[in-house]
Amino acid sequence: MSDRTLPRLLQTPAVLLLLVWMLVPLGMTLFFSFIRYVLNSLRRPEWTSPSIDNWRGFGNYQFVWNNDGFWLAIYNSVFIVTSIVVFTVIFGLAIAILVNRSFPGRGIVRVLLISPFFVMPAVNAVLWINMILDPVLGLQGIAVAGLNEMIDGLRDFPVLGGFFSLWPELSPISFRATQTSAYAVIIMVTWQWTPFAVLIFMTSLQSEDQQQKEAAILDGAGKWSMFRNLTLPHLGRPIAIVVMIQAIFHLSLYAEIEIVSRGNGNKNLPYLIGEFATNNIGAASAAGIFAVILANVIAIFLLRMVGKTLMD
Amino acid sequence: MAIVAQESRLSRVLWPILAWTIAIIFFFPIFWLVFTSFKTDADAVKPEHLIFFTPTLENYINMTENYDYWRFAINSVITSVFATLFALIVGVPCAYAMAFNPTRATKDILMWMLSTKMLPAAAVLYPMTFLTKNFLGIYDTHFLVIVVLCLINLPIVIWMLFTYFKEIPKEIIEAGKMDGVSTWGEIKDILIPLAWGGVASTALLCFIFCWNEAYWTVRLTTTEAATLSKLIEGNRAPEGLFFGRLSAVSAAAVGPIVVLGWFCQKQLVQGLTFGAVK
Repeated sequence: MSDRTLPRLLQTPAVLLLLVWMLVPLGMTLFFSFIRYVLNSLRRPEWTSPSIDNWRGFGNYQFVWNNDGFWLAIYNSVFIVTSIVVFTVIFGLAIAILVNRSFPGRGIVRVLLISPFFVMPAVNAVLWINMILDPVLGLQGIAVAGLNEMIDGLRDFPVLGGFFSLWPELSPISFRATQTSAYAVIIMVTWQWTPFAVLIFMTSLQSEDQQQKEAAILDGAGKWSMFRNLTLPHLGRPIAIVVMIQAIFHLSLYAEIEIVSRGNGNKNLPYLIGEFATNNIGAASAAGIFAVILANVIAIFLLRMVGKTLMD
Repeated sequence: MAIVAQESRLSRVLWPILAWTIAIIFFFPIFWLVFTSFKTDADAVKPEHLIFFTPTLENYINMTENYDYWRFAINSVITSVFATLFALIVGVPCAYAMAFNPTRATKDILMWMLSTKMLPAAAVLYPMTFLTKNFLGIYDTHFLVIVVLCLINLPIVIWMLFTYFKEIPKEIIEAGKMDGVSTWGEIKDILIPLAWGGVASTALLCFIFCWNEAYWTVRLTTTEAATLSKLIEGNRAPEGLFFGRLSAVSAAAVGPIVVLGWFCQKQLVQGLTFGAVK
């Protein structure tokens, strides 16, 4: 008897804590999503307290669904997540293969490469948007100004000057603008998460079957065909995991969006929910439930994949 | 062996150069942050002082005065240390039971724990604010931040510990049982010493995640329990007036963690992929 009870007892605190942590807030969100609930209303003060009398059915869901901002936020969420995932996987693969052999200082190269991953998101955003991407004071601005000056100088040359005077004056890109702020987020998060992809691909490459590779070389296989037929299939699982873990993390990007442009041009779902939550709690909750559904679609695939290797 | 023999001399020289170049490019922004932190605010925005300038420690010396850095840093340390500690206290017995006395439900429980991690934080933002502010009255306290950080990292902690504990032969634990060692004794005297490396790297990784957390620590605090994430988020200096001092405080916020991270990069893979990539 005690053989079974004690293990169960040891698991109880963790299970209970996580159960409460998940069910209580989520249950409240679910409830709020079905009632009219606003923080400030002079006209309808009865809506300012969460009460079952203010039942609205699927009204909040309808309101969110028909809200243009909601679809823009979904679009931005998906655009930002997909771009980051595509870039990190491509860069991650290239760099992992590059580093996966011995050369002088490989240890240091690894340490340098992994470092961005440990930078806190707020610092990442402040660093990139101010010190690097700023159109005047950042490195981008300084580099563009320098190039313009150089081209200006070359215009005074005899003969060649004619060629350079055809070149337009370069203008720096403002990454806080509506059209570009999503790119700024993509750049900084890609920088931060490429190391994560590199690390995982590298770990996986090290477990690749070397004998199989040598056999392939003896059979006269080329480098490219070896990569396509041996390495890439071997990396299939790690790639899938990198994609899904990042999707889940980046669907809830917040600090970067806030710091780059306060949601101007790159407002994603979490940011929109935060904005709704300043007053219209009903709508924020309905949008929150949509976010849960979106994350779950991805989570199911990830959990299946992880579950397969769990017990072996 | 065959692969090495095939390689031309050129690629043996170019390969390391390419690898080094990419590593330096990736590290450059961090270097630039530290580099800028030694410039005065005036020098930091002057193109003529881009590379050559008189280094100064002024930004670090005035960090307390400018940003009240230590108050936020201490909050970060307190909340991260205690959240990690509690996660281990709750997580070790749980992972122990799962690894050495698995039941049919163990796999499902583990999967379910992981799924709590995938709940978008924004979806429960208002309920959390409401509960902690109006109901429990613990908004903006260290206690709240510790509990939240502990809970969001608990699934990863249990997963990592579980994968480490699973590697330990069951016989050793069972031998302890034969000798009449209590469960607590088994954990304390047999399991922890054997899995010491695993427990340490789990703790380290959990600490790093706590330190860098930037959603709940920003949304559930105002002043009392505000961490470094909140400090940086609140001082984003949009007009570049304070690049020097902002760089210093940012470098001080991430420096220790980046260095800690170097020591647990191997374990990071296991922790982040839940043991699915080895």
